[in-house]
Order: sequence, then C-alpha cells, then structure tokens
Amino acid sequence: MEEEAPKNSYTTQEKNDIFNNEFLPHITSMYNFGYRLTFDQDDAKDLVQDTYLKAYRFIESFQKGTNAKAWLFRILKNSFINDYRKKSKEPSKVDYQEVESYYNSEDVDRQITPDLRVESLKDMIGDEISNALNSLDVDFRTVIILCDLEGFKYEEMAKILDIPIGTVRSRLHRARNLLKEKLSEYAKSMGYKNTES
Amino acid sequence: MTNSVNPFILADGKKPSCMEMLQLILDGEATAVQQEYFRTHMDKCAPCFKSYDLDNTIKELLKTRCCGESVPAGLVEQIRNQISQNQSF
Repeated sequence: MEEEAPKNSYTTQEKNDIFNNEFLPHITSMYNFGYRLTFDQDDAKDLVQDTYLKAYRFIESFQKGTNAKAWLFRILKNSFINDYRKKSKEPSKVDYQEVESYYNSEDVDRQITPDLRVESLKDMIGDEISNALNSLDVDFRTVIILCDLEGFKYEEMAKILDIPIGTVRSRLHRARNLLKEKLSEYAKSMGYKNTES
Repeated sequence: MTNSVNPFILADGKKPSCMEMLQLILDGEATAVQQEYFRTHMDKCAPCFKSYDLDNTIKELLKTRCCGESVPAGLVEQIRNQISQNQSF
C-alpha cells in the first residue's frame, strides 16, 4: 500500500488467481481476527469485506507468492484503527510508558500467578480461555491473537503492527501476564486453592 | 564445565529474565544455541521448568479454543460481487 511500492502489472485473470488462491484461503483467520477485535459479527464482516476490497484495489503492489496473510492482517488492523476505533471513540487504554517500565523492572520475573496450574487450566472446558483473551485491552489482545492463534513470527508482527520487534516482545510479555492473572481468577472461582505444587 | 556466555544477552548487555528467555523458546524465536542453553538452564531452575508447561498449555489452549468463528454464509459472494461491480466502472 506504500506509494513507493513497486507495481506489478497483472491481467484480470492473474488478479483473480491471486485473489482466489492467495487471499481467500485466509478468510476464516481474518474473520476471527475481526470478531476478536470488535466482538460483533456485523462489524467483523464489514472489516473483512473492507479488507478484501482494499487488497484487490491495491493488488498490483502485492508481489505474487509473498506473505499475503501478513499483508491482509495489516490492512484489517489499519481499517480497525482508522475506521472502527474512531467511530466507536474508544481510546486505547494501554499506557506504553507503563508497559516499558514494567518490562524493564526487576520484579518482572516474580511469580504473578503461583496458584495457576496446568491441571486447573485443563479443567476449563467452557469459555474461560476465550473470555480471558477477550478481557484484555485491544493492543494486548492483538499480539496474543497474532502470535498464539495465528502463529505469526515477531518480525511479521512488527510489520503488521508498525512497531519495533522489541516492543512486540515486551507487549507479548505483558499481555501474557495479564492473561494469566485473569485465568488465575477463573481458577480460584472454580475452587482451586492457592496451593504451591 | 561451566556454561559459556548466555546467548540470550542482548546487544546492550542486558541480561534477560527467565520469562523473557522462555517466551522466545515457546514462540519458536530462539536460535539453536539459545535452545540448548535453555535446556540446561531448566535443569537448574525449577520456576522455569514449571512455567514451561504452564505457558505451553496456555498457548495450545488459545489455539484450540479461540479460533472457532465460522465465516458468515454469503460473505465471499458479497465480496466477489462488490469487486466485479467496482471493475465494471
């Protein structure tokens, strides 16, 4: 989508082939991402549709056979920030200063959730895992989705999110600690005691 | 027989925490040398040993429990129709 991106000249047939074979196979992941960002099926649908229309419009900036999935995720993420987030007027609640200072602090390794155990996690057969993910602020939720649900590498995440790799790492670290805190609350409510193994 | 320099140490000389090392391992971002170092490290660090299983389980559960949304029927058709309409202008 950058203006300086080298343009490829594709015939309509080639464009349609790229669209069908490289873009469309990711539609389930794209819809899941849209839904996890907005928590609304119609909004998720609009975001996905908008993403695919943009991808087709700028298809000549896409090099056939390269990382279509990362590019599509980037477009969707930007549509979400520019269109959806503005519309909903929900400011980002993440204080990055706080994130960075947390990451650099000495107590980053303290056991935040000593009571959380593998056994209690495996007993969570309802929506606990999904709800814990959904409870995170959107920027923390996003890095977990990209890394753990979709398997993107840090370098790809940095490109999708327009942030340095160091920030990807620190944001993931903080997001996972928050997720564990949430899961720990669920574990307690399920009757697991604070027992050290 | 002492371990060589910690291969996780960053360019600025900062020593990474256990959780930082573990994150790189579980995310598949560690080099072969880092993986070998961490394997030895886990033998001497019970919290890392415990966290390895816990964090790995969370990662797996996220993958299996949070990817279930199915694409609404007709969405692909809608997108195709929109594209062909745009093309005809």
